[in-house]
Amino acid sequence: MTLTAFPPPPPGADYNELRQEVRAFLAEELADFPPEKRAKSWNGFSRDFSRKLAQRGWVGMTFPKEYGGHARSALERYVVSEELLAAGAPVISHWIADRQSGPLILAKGTEDQKRRIVPRIAAGELCFCIGMSEPDSGSDLAATRTIATEVEGGFRINGTKVWTTYAHVADYMILFCRTGKSDDRHGGMSQFLIDLKATPNIRISPIIDMGGEHHFNQVIFDDTFLPSDALLGEQGEGWSQVMSELAFERSGPERFLSSFALIEELIRLLRKEATEAQQAEIGRLSAHLMVLRQMSRSVAGMLNEGKNPALQAAIVKDLGALYEQDIPRLARSLVSRPAVPGGRDSYAAVLAYTELAVPSFSLRGGTREILRGIIARGLGLR
Amino acid sequence: MESMIHDMAERLFRNHVSHRLREDAAAGQCPEALWTLIEEAGLTMAMVPEEAGGFGVPAAEALGLVRISGAHGLPLPLAETLIANAVLASAGLAPPGGRLTIAEGAALRLERRGAAIHIRGPLTLVPFARWADRIVTVAALDGTDHVLSLPVKDLALAPGHDLAGMPRDDAEVDLALTEADARPLPRSIGGMRELGALIRSLAMAGAMETIVKMSVEYANDRVQFGRPIGKFQAIQHYLATMAGETAASRTAAEMAADSYDTPAFALTVAAAKSRSGEAAEKVGALAHQVHGAIGYTQEHALHHFTKRIWSWRDEFGTELDWTTELGRAALSSPRDTFWHFITDSTAQGTPA
Ligand SMILES: Cc1cc2nc3c(=O)[nH]c(=O)nc-3n(C[C@H](O)[C@H](O)[C@H](O)COP(=O)(O)OP(=O)(O)OC[C@H]3O[C@@H](n4cnc5c(N)ncnc54)[C@H](O)[C@@H]3O)c2cc1C
Repeated sequence: MTLTAFPPPPPGADYNELRQEVRAFLAEELADFPPEKRAKSWNGFSRDFSRKLAQRGWVGMTFPKEYGGHARSALERYVVSEELLAAGAPVISHWIADRQSGPLILAKGTEDQKRRIVPRIAAGELCFCIGMSEPDSGSDLAATRTIATEVEGGFRINGTKVWTTYAHVADYMILFCRTGKSDDRHGGMSQFLIDLKATPNIRISPIIDMGGEHHFNQVIFDDTFLPSDALLGEQGEGWSQVMSELAFERSGPERFLSSFALIEELIRLLRKEATEAQQAEIGRLSAHLMVLRQMSRSVAGMLNEGKNPALQAAIVKDLGALYEQDIPRLARSLVSRPAVPGGRDSYAAVLAYTELAVPSFSLRGGTREILRGIIARGLGLR
Repeated sequence: MESMIHDMAERLFRNHVSHRLREDAAAGQCPEALWTLIEEAGLTMAMVPEEAGGFGVPAAEALGLVRISGAHGLPLPLAETLIANAVLASAGLAPPGGRLTIAEGAALRLERRGAAIHIRGPLTLVPFARWADRIVTVAALDGTDHVLSLPVKDLALAPGHDLAGMPRDDAEVDLALTEADARPLPRSIGGMRELGALIRSLAMAGAMETIVKMSVEYANDRVQFGRPIGKFQAIQHYLATMAGETAASRTAAEMAADSYDTPAFALTVAAAKSRSGEAAEKVGALAHQVHGAIGYTQEHALHHFTKRIWSWRDEFGTELDWTTELGRAALSSPRDTFWHFITDSTAQGTPA
């Protein structure tokens, strides 16, 4: 498979009926949801919204029916995802679980773990967080220091995780840590499924982002005891498990639709009147968006066929972040209105929010530099 | 996509399109022998339905030939002939055989004089005109688009060439055609501008894939400071950027090819041509940076590809033309939101 070839999504991947149902649902649920809130995109948290969405069968869509899922294709899930993002729906409460934790548990978990957890994810009841990054292990995930030591009946965990999105409200964390020594830099790692509400000796404290928002956290494990059945997948196989999660994490529409509220605001202003130069800029933006969307749908198609499009996913994420980070600049070049945090003018408020959000887009989920290294190796550089 | 016709073209071009052949073509020599092989292989008739004497290959697959010819820097009007034959066939005109080319006919004036149709006006920068037997174009007569098949021998040509040295000739038209060479275009398969933009987008994607491949090979081979330059992270990131842009270009062009003959065609072509053109600028610049001075020479093959993509981006509408068109459509869309415009613009399965 050539790295630069993105096969088109299979015919019929539009699922227009499903799309219209989702639009109708969103029109009703988000009727009074203002642009400033939509701007938070998938960082918006609402358990209530996630539960309602699940009642419609739109969480855990790809999970098997016997685990509460709906056995639908990755492309149908894709339609729902992009409609939610484009509308700026508050989805983070179920997003991580639906995107990667659920599929990971289904692929690697024990029967007991699957039966206990997956149906509740599909019901929109569980919020998951990802415990990978640490103070001294960011891009270099293999430098992780958090360690699980085997004890009678389970493991004791010690270490610190950081940047853990929504750990302060999450029900579960999937923890990546060391379980043994290994000559291989990527060996001796494992993953654990941690019930954050029921496990003592975990200290979660807020980290406030530069926009004043609280979404990520520091999580300290202080001799935290986990029962043996918290181990997720094979002991020592943590590295390859984490890597297989990344194609799910990196290629989705959240990688180019998280600034969409600003685009809609911008277009709303330009619709009344636009010069040719302004039209051309909107045309360029449209072309990029149409193409990114096609690439991301292509990856969804590949995932659906059981392929591992990790390299294509890295390309989508890199291009998506570049595109999104350029949107505030573009808006500023077309409309002369200052950004006003929390301003009454919704364009000004959304611009302010988005300007402060975009620096994170080329950090979270793998930095631009790391992605480019992955792509370069995929090209066959020796 | 597994495709016999792609494999055949790939083999043919690999064996016959050399650096030398591209050099000679740029110096003015039409590779006649290669053209004969291409015609014998049936490539020029791929998009013509079987009833009309062609091979009836599905459009998206047949158009893959354009990407492949771009990947080899083919100095012949295969893409143009492929499209010209398809357009002729769609208007019920028999594909004449030989080398054909296409041109935008918006500047032509058509007039009925008895049974004949008189045609006057200029055609500019027509690809390969002086190597072609006929120029196929579309122009309006009595308010409907007509396909015209103009014999080159009856036109006054002013020769010119593009950055890559390929013929781009101006033609002055002043002749009368009969119904045998001028027929209404039955349904909108897109004007010549759209079709031209489509083939240039596909060819750019193919050429960029070759440029990326050449650059990766060069980065693996060229040693400085005791190691291949591909070990340097700055070079790796350039290559990754080139791959991303190339992937976007190919996806864009194939999205347009997939919507050939559907209502989504006009907007997907606009996206494809502008996105590929933008990619061409970055990919070309970075390829030359990776190659150092050797890539800036006539002797090295790189320039045949970078010059082609830089020429193609200007043909059949520049990025500015297409982004303006796309932006105007987005801003005047009757849909409630921009998002609805985007999902509609690429919707598959909409009936033609
Ligand atoms: C909003 C947000 C939410 C996040 N949520 C989570 C979460 O829920 N769970 C979680 O585990 N993590 C989360 N992260 C953390 C994220 O995964 C890390 O920020 C990321 O992996 C980079 O690590 P770092 O911040 O330590 O930067 P570093 O790794 O220290 O990198 C700093 C700079 O050095 C560059 N660099 C590092 N190594 C190389 C190299 N080999 N070559 C070239 N350049 C290099 C980087 O690209 C970057 O530019 C989140 C981050 C953000 C911003």
